[in-house]
This record gives sequence, structure tokens and C-alpha cells, in this order.
Amino acid sequence: MGRVRPVSGGRRDRILTTLADGGDGEITAMRLGEVSKRVTGLTGAGIMLMSGDLPVGSMGTTGDVSTLIEDLQYTLGEGPCVDVYRLDRPVIEPDLAKPTTPRWPAFTEPAVGAGIRAIFGFPMTVGAVRLGALDLWGDAPGPLSDDQHADALVMADIAAEAVLAMQAQGSAGVLAAELEKGSNFQYVVQQAAGMVSAQLEVSVAQALVRLRARAFADRRLVAEVAADVVARRLRFDDRDE
Amino acid sequence: MPRELLLARTLVELADSLVDSFDVVELLTVLADRCIEVVDVAAAGLMLANPAGELRVLASSSEAMRILELFEKQADEGPCVDCYRSGRPIVNVKLDGAGTRWPRFAPKAIEAGFRSVHALPMRLRGQTIGALNMFQVDADETSDTDVAAAQALADVATIAILAHRSAADAQALNEQLTEALKTRIVIEQAKGIVSERAGLVMDRAFDRLRRHARNHNLRLTDVASAISTKALAVDSLDP
Repeated sequence: MGRVRPVSGGRRDRILTTLADGGDGEITAMRLGEVSKRVTGLTGAGIMLMSGDLPVGSMGTTGDVSTLIEDLQYTLGEGPCVDVYRLDRPVIEPDLAKPTTPRWPAFTEPAVGAGIRAIFGFPMTVGAVRLGALDLWGDAPGPLSDDQHADALVMADIAAEAVLAMQAQGSAGVLAAELEKGSNFQYVVQQAAGMVSAQLEVSVAQALVRLRARAFADRRLVAEVAADVVARRLRFDDRDE
Repeated sequence: MPRELLLARTLVELADSLVDSFDVVELLTVLADRCIEVVDVAAAGLMLANPAGELRVLASSSEAMRILELFEKQADEGPCVDCYRSGRPIVNVKLDGAGTRWPRFAPKAIEAGFRSVHALPMRLRGQTIGALNMFQVDADETSDTDVAAAQALADVATIAILAHRSAADAQALNEQLTEALKTRIVIEQAKGIVSERAGLVMDRAFDRLRRHARNHNLRLTDVASAISTKALAVDSLDP
């Protein structure tokens, strides 16, 4: 079972260490939710996956109220996650019961009724690929501290990478190694995703999943597979190398 | 052209492009290009820290893979990391003698053909947000005036990155840095698509995207996004 080993001190490493500790080293959606809640010190967390402006499903919710947040947004088509996805930037509401700018007319009342006083959404993206949003909520009104805000941004990045890898059915060990390297930020991986998307006529998001699936099947790191694609030693379509 | 004149012209050119809605990667690529002329180095790159405090390449004077990789390799070790963490300039470091200081980075840089390296901080109100990284193929000392000229360019880069919106507080700044780095990822994805469709190597694919953006007065990021989402076909790009 792969464990995440920090390479240097830092926010990302601290979060990865938290992600690996406590559990058995396996990174699951549930674990992503729990760690999001823990590192930010908020009341609850959840992940909403989005596609074409519509919520397609939630994962990793930390409790009934967190599940309600995602269910409401799924049903109503409005809420912080939906806005995060549409605007492609964080959405911050430190006082849901008395907002400065009222929004989400249908979402707000049941959410406040369930005890949600502050809600924050952060985009989960890998370049032009938008996967969804990380939702965090508090049972008391109040803004995020700078540290909580920075942790949430980093956590959303880690969650995005983890979700991509899960779609490719990478094992926890492979996933841990890749998260540690921040492989989605290696440009060769992004370039290869572009090439594979052109080879297969699929979206860049699907191409990233295909790259990861191939890496997993071959027991290699996604960056190594990507380097082969960019060097034109490996193709993903039928025109064999 | 004398260096002072070149620097002045560059600063005016950059200030001029800050007026309109500009593309941060395009502007910083121009800046990295000018840096090579003004300071007489072989390669220059601008590295920006994400909210996790890790450095990522935002723009480079060369899109050649060996150069991009050299910047990329400095995520956790090298002159940029030292400069970023200390907030102080790292100048005229000979790579031959840097094997102990940077055991992974120094051999890579030598392998890529370089002999000495510099990193200058990109600072905003006492906070370091990234570094301007420069490589030389010789080990000649770069003069104090050259370093001052490069620092002026690094300062302009900082202004450019933050000019989109006022980064009034730490949270807005973090969001802005994240956004700038995301821009670069979109461009890399588009480079891959163009490279595959048009049969070009990565640096030529980048040139093609950039030229199309310039010819049509579009932002490089918007062209890259359009390619990535298939709103724009590679065939429709200017040759």
C-alpha cells in the first residue's frame, strides 16, 4: 500500500501527509472529504462533480448536512458549487443567513434551516479541464482566514488530481506517488493530454484519464508515459508506433 | 543598441501593453525574451509560487523541452527555490561548484549546456511571489548594472501578474496566482493538440498559437482555450 512521503515542508506536503495518515494510506473520496474538513477546521465538506454546467454527482461528503448541500444543488441546479463551476473561481459566502448580496433563492432557506451559516466553494480544475468543486461549510458565520483559504485552494487541486486518477482506476499506491509529484502540473503531462485528445478525438479531460489508465496498466508514472507520447514513441490511436 | 536604451524601450513597451486587457503569459514571454537581450543571458524564465508555496513556470524565453524541464525541475530544489524562500537575489552561481548545494538540479543544468545561473526575487509589498531565473552558457560574471536591469524586469513582471485586479489581500493574491498558473496549463494542453494535428514540435506549436493570437489581436489564453474546447480548429490557425 503506497504511503505519501513528503519531499519538503509545505502546505501541499502537510495536506498529503494528513491524507495518508490515520487511514490505511488509501486515498478515497471519503478520505478527501474528511481531510478537507480537517485541514480547514470547518464543520463539513463535500465534492460536487460537474459536467456542462450541471451537477452530475457528489462524493466524499462528511455527514448528513454535507450530503444535503450537494443534494440541494443537484436538485435545484443552484448553489455555491454551481457558481464555482460557471465562474471558474472560488465562491465565498461567510454569512449565508445575512448575505451582502443575496443569491441562490431556492438553496439558501433549506441550507440555513439545516444549520449552515457559512459556505465556501473552490474550483477543482486541471487547466481547461473543469471537474467540479470542493464545498466547505461552517455552522457559524465568519470569513475564512488566509491560512484556511490557502489550504482550501491546495486541497481543491489535490482533490482534482485524485478524482482524475480515480477515474483511471489507479491504485492507491500509484495515486499517492503521483500526487506527491504533482504530476498534473508537469507540462509534459498536459502536452501529452492535448496530443492524445487529438489522436482519439476526445476531450482533454478524457485524454488525461486515458493517459493515467495506460500508466496504471503499464505500472509506470503518468509523466513517463506522457514523455513517450510527446517524443512520438507512443500513440493512443490505431496508427501504431 | 546600448543596454540602457534597450531596457528603457522594453519598459515602455511593457507599460504600454499593461493598459489594455492583456494576456499574462504572452506579456511575460515577451519579458523573458527581452531579458535575454538586455542582460545577455542564454535563457530566462519566470517562476511563480502557487498557494502551496511550490514554484511553477509561467513563461520562458524558450519553449524547447530541455529548457522548460530545467525550470520545472526547480519545484523543490535550485536557485529559484533558494531565492523564493529567502527573498534575496542569487547571482553569478557557477554550476560546476554547485553540486553540493543543488545535487539534483546542478547536473541537469550542466547537461543542458549551462555554466552559471541567477535568480532574482519577484516581490510585492515585502512578500516574494516568484523568481526570475536566468542561465548563462559561460561562467562570466554578470555586472551589478546588468543585475539591476534584470531586477527592473522582474519588478515589471510582478506588476503585470497583479495588474488584472487589485490583489488587496492575501486571499485575492492567492486566487490570482492560481489563475495565472492555470493559464499556463491551458496553453500546454493546446500546444499538445496543435503539435499532434499540425505535426509540429512543441516550441513551433507554441509559436503558431502565439502568432495567431497576435495577428488577430486575441489573448493567447483565449486562443489556447478555444483550441482545447474545439471552438477553434487547428486548421484555422494562421500558418
